[in-house]
Amino acid sequence: MFLTSVVRSGWMVCFLLVMASTLRVDAHRAGQGDVTEGRRRGSALRRPSPEAERGQSQFLKTCSFCHGAEANGGAAGPNLMRSPIVRHDEKGNLIGQVVREGRPEKGMPPIQLTSDQLSDVAAFLHYRVAVSDGRSAPRPGADYSAAKLLVGNANAGKAFFNGAGGCSACHSPTGDLAGIAHKYPAVDLQTRFLFPAEPYLTATVTDSSGKQYRGRIRLHTNYEFAIEDSDGWYHSWPLDKVKVEVKDPLVAHRKLLSQFTDSEMHDMLAYLETLK
Amino acid sequence: MIKSILLVSLCVTSLHAQSLDPTTLFKPPTDTWPSHNGDYTGRRYSTLSQINQDNIHSITLAWAFQTHQQAMKSTPLEVDGILYFTVPNHVWAVDARTGRQIWQFQRQSEGNYIGQRGVAMYRDRLFFGTPDAHLICLNARNGKKIWEVEVADVKFGYYISVAPLVVKDKLIVGMSNDQTDIAGFLDARSPEDGKLIWHWDSLPKPGAPGSETWPNKETMAHGGGTTWMPGTYDPELDLIYWGTGNPHPVLAGAVRPGANLYTCSIVALNADTGKMAWYFQASPHDTQDRDANETPVIFDAEFQGRPRKLLAQASRNGYFFLLDRTTGENLLSTTFGPQNWSAGLNQRGEPIPKPEKEPRPEGALFEGSGTNWWAPSFDPETGLFYVNAHHSFLVTYLTRDEKDPASASDHQGGLDSPLWAEDMLVAIDYQTGKIKWQRDRPPDGGQVSLSNGAGILTTAGHLLVTGDDSGDLIALDPATGKSLWHVYAGGRLTGCPMTYELDGRQYILTAVDSVLYAWALSENSTHVEN
Repeated sequence: MFLTSVVRSGWMVCFLLVMASTLRVDAHRAGQGDVTEGRRRGSALRRPSPEAERGQSQFLKTCSFCHGAEANGGAAGPNLMRSPIVRHDEKGNLIGQVVREGRPEKGMPPIQLTSDQLSDVAAFLHYRVAVSDGRSAPRPGADYSAAKLLVGNANAGKAFFNGAGGCSACHSPTGDLAGIAHKYPAVDLQTRFLFPAEPYLTATVTDSSGKQYRGRIRLHTNYEFAIEDSDGWYHSWPLDKVKVEVKDPLVAHRKLLSQFTDSEMHDMLAYLETLK
Repeated sequence: MIKSILLVSLCVTSLHAQSLDPTTLFKPPTDTWPSHNGDYTGRRYSTLSQINQDNIHSITLAWAFQTHQQAMKSTPLEVDGILYFTVPNHVWAVDARTGRQIWQFQRQSEGNYIGQRGVAMYRDRLFFGTPDAHLICLNARNGKKIWEVEVADVKFGYYISVAPLVVKDKLIVGMSNDQTDIAGFLDARSPEDGKLIWHWDSLPKPGAPGSETWPNKETMAHGGGTTWMPGTYDPELDLIYWGTGNPHPVLAGAVRPGANLYTCSIVALNADTGKMAWYFQASPHDTQDRDANETPVIFDAEFQGRPRKLLAQASRNGYFFLLDRTTGENLLSTTFGPQNWSAGLNQRGEPIPKPEKEPRPEGALFEGSGTNWWAPSFDPETGLFYVNAHHSFLVTYLTRDEKDPASASDHQGGLDSPLWAEDMLVAIDYQTGKIKWQRDRPPDGGQVSLSNGAGILTTAGHLLVTGDDSGDLIALDPATGKSLWHVYAGGRLTGCPMTYELDGRQYILTAVDSVLYAWALSENSTHVEN
């Protein structure tokens, strides 16, 4: 073993400049924790088809007074998301009979709909099932309400930025952060000031002859190390044959994650949202 | 010479009925791995030592089997020279000596294909669950289907990824559901025809003990508590130990004030009746999807100077729990990584969640540690409990609003933004809960995927076999964590490693994505070919 120490020296660069990574996989939340696909964003599944939109209008006219506007239960009718008939239905083949004949024993009257109206209502109900079901918690979409997020105090955030947070050591509201509030939706800004996506880790590698290589880290395992140099060439070494110095530009962000209180986090967002 | 030995062994094999005597499950010999965890304890510790610290550096590839399917998350069974393993809707029987396929069963269905942990075996029959929540019985000789029953309704998102557990003359079958607000349960079914023998609900009935931990019967009836990992069994106490999953809706705790029993719990059930003897709730009122489905490992050992019948779990919420498995009494609750959501322990030794760390509309900064479905291991020689774990930060948002009908039946009820994560292998002293040693992954800026844990095997060869998140298969000294062997096998260890001895040769199996690798000492070092 030549030298084994791995040094992390932090220098702060490229705050908020890195493009969003939507590929980061996180099974923290996925039901069985072993999802390997990328995470969808919150609004991806929430657009109804034209049929479902027509069905919603129809549902509001003829069904919602019992089953609720969103079909998940109302004053007199059950939550249809929990109905086996709805869940097993295909294009109205099971719902149709119930709608046409009603359920007199439960107080549901027959409702006369055309077959097109019926299939629209079925499309709406299946859309509602898809919305209420969820395989894993999605990431918030860009349309997440900024009003919900802005509960903090901008002045307190500014004080944190210049004081306890230590942010002003690397960032400036008139420099790299000028206009930042225009650049990102508030919900993305909250994620990014906490920990920007895709940290750009670089390293200096010194081999046994003393020759040095610098570049972006491509691989860092417990046994191997590889970088891509400034010409785009790949170099790799057994980790125990070289000295490696890693430069992590986000060390200060990582430290702050352990220190932020929720109110400091909300204050920071409120402050950054003033940088228009 | 060798040929004659082989002939003899083949004759002996052919004289056996190649089926699994259920009594084998009580004390499996070293030449079989007859259930998901190898035995009823869930320790995943093998007494085999042919491959050991002195020769692990020279192990070689004995064979490889390519499934051409999705990543394998099952643990193979090995019985009388035949391996049985799965991916969703596929089962293979493969020669354990050569890796050659004997038969393959496949079917198509709707449902959830996220994972399949493997088959159970009873005499000459195999049993496995499907993406559409059916239970299927196959003839182990040829893979022909004997019967199929529906366990739950796929249209409500039910599926079965769990490997059933054979207990006496019953199949214990759990279920999965990540999709909608439902009730979790555990079934005991007959190996003869799949008929229900007993049924245990994860959620109490109205008025029953535990129902006071729910706001109303409608929420309780759909409150979750899935049972998607195999449990363990103590024949002396005749108790089955099983973990239950998170409450529903997943992130929206305000809908379901209370502890939400028996979600996120370890339960002890009578094997004959399914009646609950005791419970321990790993995460009262969970709002972070912290299933307690991880293996409830059982072993007999000293605790504070006296011999105890113990149960240990490294739980998904980052706590290591040690219980008396006769009574469920909590002996120890410690964390194996940093977290910011627990305010301490209640009188039962269960964590108390901080209300302010529940998902909120404006976002809550959550720090947690934990593990997941991949098998832990307990080595009785070191007294250490090993688990692949992770530590992460995220912002969690509450979106379910009971005043807004559009979100009022949302199963997740929230969103989250992952920020940073790291993973590590920890070795926990079961008597103190302290971390004896820890293997970190090198810093990569927190881009670790938390879905990439790996199962662990320990052996009497003083080896710990697992995988790094980077894809290296590794063997470590279980006493110290020192690396003894590694190889990059073209992917990540997705299944849990297992081992068996066949004709005097020990094999260690590792499933790497779609390829099953069998490692062994070179045949030259175990015998001489002529």
